Amino acid sequence: MYQGRYAPERPAGAAAPYDGLAVTETSRIRNFCIIAHIDHGKSTLADRLLELTHAVSEREMREQYLDKMDLERERGITIKAQAVRLTHELGGQTYELNLIDTPGHVDFTYEVSRSLAACEGAVLLVDAAQGIEAQTLANFHLARDAGLTIVPVVNKIDLPAADVEGTRRDLAELVGCDPSEVLAVSGKTGAGVPELLEAVIRRVPPPQGRREDPLRALIFDSTFDPYRGVIAYVRVKDGVLRSHARLHAMAVDLDWEAEEVGVFAPEATPVQELGPGEVGYLVTSLKDVHLVRVGDTTPVQGRGRAREPLPGYREPKPMVWSGLFPAEGGDYTALRDALEKLKLNDAALVFEPETSSALGFGFRCGFLGLLHMDIVKERLEREFGLELIATAPNVEFHVIRGDRTIVVHNPSEMPPPGTYDRVEEPVVLATIITPAEYLGAVLELCQARRGEMMDMKYLSTTRVEVHYLLPLAEIIFDFFDQLKSRTRGYASLDYEPWGYEPADLVRVDILLHGEPVDAFSSVVHREKAYRYGRTMVERLRELIPRQLFDGAIQAAIGSRIIARETVKAKRKDVLAKCYGGDVTRKRKLLEQQKRGKERLRRVGRVDVPQEAFIAALRVDEGERR
Amino acid sequence: MSGLYVHVPFCLTRCGYCDFNAYTGLDHLRSRYVRALLREAELAGAAWPEPVETVFVGGGTPTTLAAEDLAALLVALRERYRVPPGAEVTVEANPDTVDVGKLVVLRESGATRLSMGAQSFDPTVLASLERVHGPDAVRRAMAAAREAGFEDVNLDLIYGAEGETLASWQRTLREAIALGPEHVSAYALTVEPGTPLGRAVALGLRRPPDPDLQADMFALACELLGEAGYRHYEVSNWARPGRECRHNLGYWRRRPYLGLGAGAHSFRGERRWWNVRPPEEYLRRVEAGELPIGGEERLGPEQAHLEEVLLRLRILEGVPASWAEPRAVEPLLDAGLLREQGASLVPTERGMLLLNELVLALAG
Ligand SMILES: Nc1nc2c(ncn2[C@@H]2O[C@H](COP(=O)(O)OP(=O)(O)OP(=O)(O)O)[C@@H](O)[C@H]2O)c(=O)[nH]1
Ligand code: SF4
Ligand SMILES: [Mg+2]
Repeated sequence: MYQGRYAPERPAGAAAPYDGLAVTETSRIRNFCIIAHIDHGKSTLADRLLELTHAVSEREMREQYLDKMDLERERGITIKAQAVRLTHELGGQTYELNLIDTPGHVDFTYEVSRSLAACEGAVLLVDAAQGIEAQTLANFHLARDAGLTIVPVVNKIDLPAADVEGTRRDLAELVGCDPSEVLAVSGKTGAGVPELLEAVIRRVPPPQGRREDPLRALIFDSTFDPYRGVIAYVRVKDGVLRSHARLHAMAVDLDWEAEEVGVFAPEATPVQELGPGEVGYLVTSLKDVHLVRVGDTTPVQGRGRAREPLPGYREPKPMVWSGLFPAEGGDYTALRDALEKLKLNDAALVFEPETSSALGFGFRCGFLGLLHMDIVKERLEREFGLELIATAPNVEFHVIRGDRTIVVHNPSEMPPPGTYDRVEEPVVLATIITPAEYLGAVLELCQARRGEMMDMKYLSTTRVEVHYLLPLAEIIFDFFDQLKSRTRGYASLDYEPWGYEPADLVRVDILLHGEPVDAFSSVVHREKAYRYGRTMVERLRELIPRQLFDGAIQAAIGSRIIARETVKAKRKDVLAKCYGGDVTRKRKLLEQQKRGKERLRRVGRVDVPQEAFIAALRVDEGERR
Repeated sequence: MSGLYVHVPFCLTRCGYCDFNAYTGLDHLRSRYVRALLREAELAGAAWPEPVETVFVGGGTPTTLAAEDLAALLVALRERYRVPPGAEVTVEANPDTVDVGKLVVLRESGATRLSMGAQSFDPTVLASLERVHGPDAVRRAMAAAREAGFEDVNLDLIYGAEGETLASWQRTLREAIALGPEHVSAYALTVEPGTPLGRAVALGLRRPPDPDLQADMFALACELLGEAGYRHYEVSNWARPGRECRHNLGYWRRRPYLGLGAGAHSFRGERRWWNVRPPEEYLRRVEAGELPIGGEERLGPEQAHLEEVLLRLRILEGVPASWAEPRAVEPLLDAGLLREQGASLVPTERGMLLLNELVLALAG
């Protein structure tokens, strides 16, 4: 994260800061990222690299140094890719190393893909006790397709359960190299890390690019600083990026000035210029979050325009949608501003205004997955002090009517049955790697989730890789937990979008006293409609306080009721005594009750407390991940 | 016209559900306390212009005081506040703190009405309420009251304690009616935070009252007391015609009242004030010649209105229909919680149980 123009003064004996004035020859630059399956030790290995290159003093060092966000530290995972510049001497030469630590969770695969666009090499880590897992494959394929040099590394060799030789063999086979080329390290003890650094310098090619060419730089990430505006993370491809350069953003066709150029070493440190192949940051002074788009390139004005934007990277595509509503109606504008600010740091977040009859004004937001949704919601609440209600997440449906396709992000927008030809749902290609002994259980699970097997191959006598086409809606909630529990934690999962397929989907509405509550509508497979309806009406019966009349809670498909519960009318709500000494207290109790009523949302005739919406819409803890 | 309330904060034992300003183990303060009350009566009396027409000595348990002390107190108060003959003078009593002798003394010093905490006639319910007396003590105390010449006696009952069934409540009501009191107060047991019962419920050690069962019990009370000739005149109060408690009606009609004693509340006009609660502090203040006022509030028009609506609905006088928005009233009329009585809106029997909802709907 950007820390301000002047890095704090270093105490005596601390590591020497990067000398921002020197211009490094392109041949002595190495740009690489660390990729791996989740938890295989990327950030911990980055710690050792920071130490070995004296980028961080012993005193300042802490575990997973690059995981700077509170949320990352609390959850022990990397959410945002982090770029950092290191310098290392080898054979009398000083090399500039630009390292990007990437997240491993499947929700953030796009962060990996855009980090790859800023690198020539990738360190592919595999946990020696776990072996190759689904995201190992996914990330390997991404890096290979991006044309990167892969440095295969077996990690965590200090673990008693480590199978170093087996993992080395498997990794060599995957990458297509000799097992002797696979390095073995421990990010924990530091064993093998100097050799790894040397291998990176020797194997990863220096960037291409000429100083004389017009500037082309890729914005691969950005953040917003309230004092300095938009800070873009850039990788210069050609030319030189200097502070105060006039720039032009192609995608939005706008001129602006680079206020400051710098590098993360690992704290933000200004430099005079970023040459070809170099990675750093750019203070844009732009206040409008829409003007700088990740994936944009920034050619210099004048001196001839660059020919075309870089084939940046895939636009991240939202996989799940949910309505976010402020608990206090007045916070709508605050929510909009907060979303816009977050969006700047989070290219994957999309949102559009939504009006719910039950929850008022809010936004329908698209997320990469449930972890992403969870993190965005938590950041909005924490960093912007908002209290939010989130509707149950859903995937994007395509409703086909004649030759028209209606894209539906919100179940309540789903047209009534009989008014369309068919509905299509997103399908993903899932890769599951499992020990052979649990194969039966895995296939059974995929079958139960309407999966279609594509192929299956034995990675070794004991490990199998299976590919399935699965409806996205079937795997975003509890699939991963189910998979883990059926394989005693040994299976891993990765998936990528495949396309849309017709499915027998229906919209289930929830009605309170005959009135549909739009926030509770859900589109589900017909076979699961009954169970969804039952669960919701039962939950709501517990959550909705008794009213002055019997209240029916129903689940319906169209006009057909599929489940029903009743909240019995309340019969007693009176203060037993009210004498001379009680009047004040009793009046205050009533005033309190009145304020409580103001927090109720009225749906038809039924008063529903805020808390009931939050609890009814909560995805069960078990369904997360 | 005004009322005078006198608080006596001493009890023999502490009942688990009670959140009154009442204490055990302060017996040594009793006579000092009576002297302090007399002193406060002097101090406060100077600023109390209205004639006092009702006196209510409550607690705590006033009858824990020695008969002579109570008598002296009643006589002094009647003198100081020029209480006219024919005034209503009520003393609260616990069944096992009274005998004929003591009651005769009270009667002779001007008490006209006795209010007795019977609570239940079912021994298991009394045990569940942590009351020390048994049902027989109530019968004996009632007989003693009659013998001493009290013609106005109230019995307090509580329903909904853990273990009480509708059948047991029915027996309690029948027993109470059989004793022939002029007045019956029947309260739904309420779990108050900060009481031993409140803590036990919060910890899950005891079950809170079931509101539906309490609703059935309320309906049964309405039925049996009504049949026995008692008129339901306030949510929790029934009386033979003409035997309503005038003192309490004063509270509900928002007439002025002066409170003496630890924690006692007073009201006049837009102002409500109250004495300090701890008896020791009360004594210290009064003995130093100060008014022992602990706090006060002035009611804004909205607060006064909310109180007015609350209290009028409680005593079934209802509020003028013109006070409320028709939009708010109609569903309540439809639901049978309110009924129209002339130009007023009055809660029905079912409505009385949902009075909080009615108040909020009608007070806007
Ligand atoms: N024994 C041992 N544990 C390690 C080693 N490297 C990392 N770990 C532990 O493995 C866990 C995950 O380490 P991280 O460095 O956060 O893994 P990551 O790959 O960055 O995780 P994500 O960013 O969430 O994908 C932590 O508990 C580390 O302490 C190692 O070499 N040996
Ligand atoms: S006797 Fe009355 S005042 Fe005393 S503790 Fe029991 S309920 Fe409370
Ligand atoms: Mg990490």
